[in-house]
Amino acid sequence: MSVTVKIMERKGSSFLEKIYLFEIFKGMRVTLGHLWRNLCDNSRLYVRHYPEVKPEITPRWRGRHRLTTHEDGTVKCVACFMCQTNCPAKCIMIEAGERMDGKSEKVPVRFDIDLLECIYCGYCVEACPMDAIRMDTGIFSVTSYDRESVFVGIDELLATKGAFDEEEYKKGGA
Amino acid sequence: MSQLDILLVLLRVAVGAFVPLCFIAVLVWLERRGAAFFQDRAGPNRANIFGFRAAGLVQNAADGIKLIFKEDVIPGHSAHKFYFVLAPLIVFFCALVSFAVVPFADTLVLEGKQYIMQGIPMDLGILWFLAITGFAVYGIILAGWSSHNKYGVLGALRASAQVISYEIPMGLALVSLLVVYGTINLNEIVHFQGKLLFGFIPMWGVVLQPLAAVIFIVSAFAETNRTPFDLAEGESELVAGFHVEYSAMKFALFFMGEYVAMFVSSSIIITLFFGGYQIPWLSTETLVAYAKPVSMLLMGLVPVAAALFCGWMMKNNKSHYDRPNDPRVREAKVYRIIIWMMVVVVEAVLVGYLLYAAGGAADRILVVLLQIVTFLVKTFMMCFVYVWVRWTLPRFRYDQLQLLGWKMLLPLALLNIFITSAVVVALS
Repeated sequence: MSVTVKIMERKGSSFLEKIYLFEIFKGMRVTLGHLWRNLCDNSRLYVRHYPEVKPEITPRWRGRHRLTTHEDGTVKCVACFMCQTNCPAKCIMIEAGERMDGKSEKVPVRFDIDLLECIYCGYCVEACPMDAIRMDTGIFSVTSYDRESVFVGIDELLATKGAFDEEEYKKGGA
Repeated sequence: MSQLDILLVLLRVAVGAFVPLCFIAVLVWLERRGAAFFQDRAGPNRANIFGFRAAGLVQNAADGIKLIFKEDVIPGHSAHKFYFVLAPLIVFFCALVSFAVVPFADTLVLEGKQYIMQGIPMDLGILWFLAITGFAVYGIILAGWSSHNKYGVLGALRASAQVISYEIPMGLALVSLLVVYGTINLNEIVHFQGKLLFGFIPMWGVVLQPLAAVIFIVSAFAETNRTPFDLAEGESELVAGFHVEYSAMKFALFFMGEYVAMFVSSSIIITLFFGGYQIPWLSTETLVAYAKPVSMLLMGLVPVAAALFCGWMMKNNKSHYDRPNDPRVREAKVYRIIIWMMVVVVEAVLVGYLLYAAGGAADRILVVLLQIVTFLVKTFMMCFVYVWVRWTLPRFRYDQLQLLGWKMLLPLALLNIFITSAVVVALS
């Protein structure tokens, strides 16, 4: 078996290239072309007008977290502490209590995520045996004027809905 | 001194001082929007006052206000606080003062008296420019040294080595140019360029001395520490170079000093090589003699230019996404009204001139105004070349920079002097 060798042509050794000025002018022609094109019609800029036009988020994107519920609206989480144990940033704080509706033994009475600590690695989602925590809200921008409002509790996590339907989400490999 | 004398002195000092200052805003805007458009981005286009963004110029005001209110830090480890404060002043002052000798219009003759149209009326001309810009590097060295910071010192070291090496080819390129012009007075140099070569080519410096023009422009880029020669602030190696310890308005002075230096060296390049304030094929005498037809031509051209500009603006000044009652369209409509009002004012002034003042002193004032506009337009275009080069070329490596200065530009400049003097001697 022979190795295919591709010999690349070395540029820059001819006299015209060594004078350097002509090559500079060639480069400047290219950039001027871009300027002229954008100046004539600035709708052709390769930019998204961000705050107004949002980017498309794919189902696999790890956005802000949410807690999922059963069909009847009760929380799926069984307070097994898998996510909290697995969290490399130690941003999840769970407090378990007894569950009365017979679905399982335990239920979280507190489930806090400090989004300032969170590194959005998704390990909590992978660790969860009940598919109770997901990062499919499509919220990619977590900003606030105070620290308290990015310290989300169980009510807010339950209230946030997923941004994608079940099939799309499953296709993402979760 | 008569009142007219005092008025004209005030006028020329005002132009000499405020035009570079106004150009700071324009050039920062040009740099940022130009860079954005070269890279297919939009640039600063959000900052506004009541929805008026002035094409992004408002962003400059916002940045300026931010810099004024920022904390002004003088590093505690610096043992030379006086020099630390002095350094940005030197840089800015030198940049500003070097514009003083550049003539922005031809000598104005009113009531038999001659008024030179430059900031300081003196004959030093190009020598003044060389002296002052050479002095500006002291500011950079002082800044780097008094910062007591290794990046600062390295940046200052690079800047000083670079300016010293590039002043030699620059000076030598000038020598060959001065051999051709036979004078160091910039106004006389511009007069010389008003002549025609073979009767149809304007005798600009770039036509007579193309090699000197290339050497001078390259050296001028190096003198102003602009890309591709901005090694003094190579952010990948030196963080920010000599101004790494500066904050708030002291940093802003360096920043503005860079743009003033860019404006001044553009104006010097224009004056030496591109005919200064001369309108091609129309020397001052021709303009004065044909002031009436010229003003009539202007009356025709101004509305056409305004219409073209308005068309372009209405096409581009709108939001490129769904937006009810697009405020940018409203903004453009207001601009259109302002532009047409300005056109009406210009037309009224020209009509008034044609009806009542044509002939005599008004002709000369009109010509001076025309020449100032020409000078500013040419300088603006040269500044655009600075921006254009900055966003096209990558930075030189340090040894390549010195190699180019000493082994390419210096021998070329010497050769150019030799050839030029031989030709001049043969022709005379």
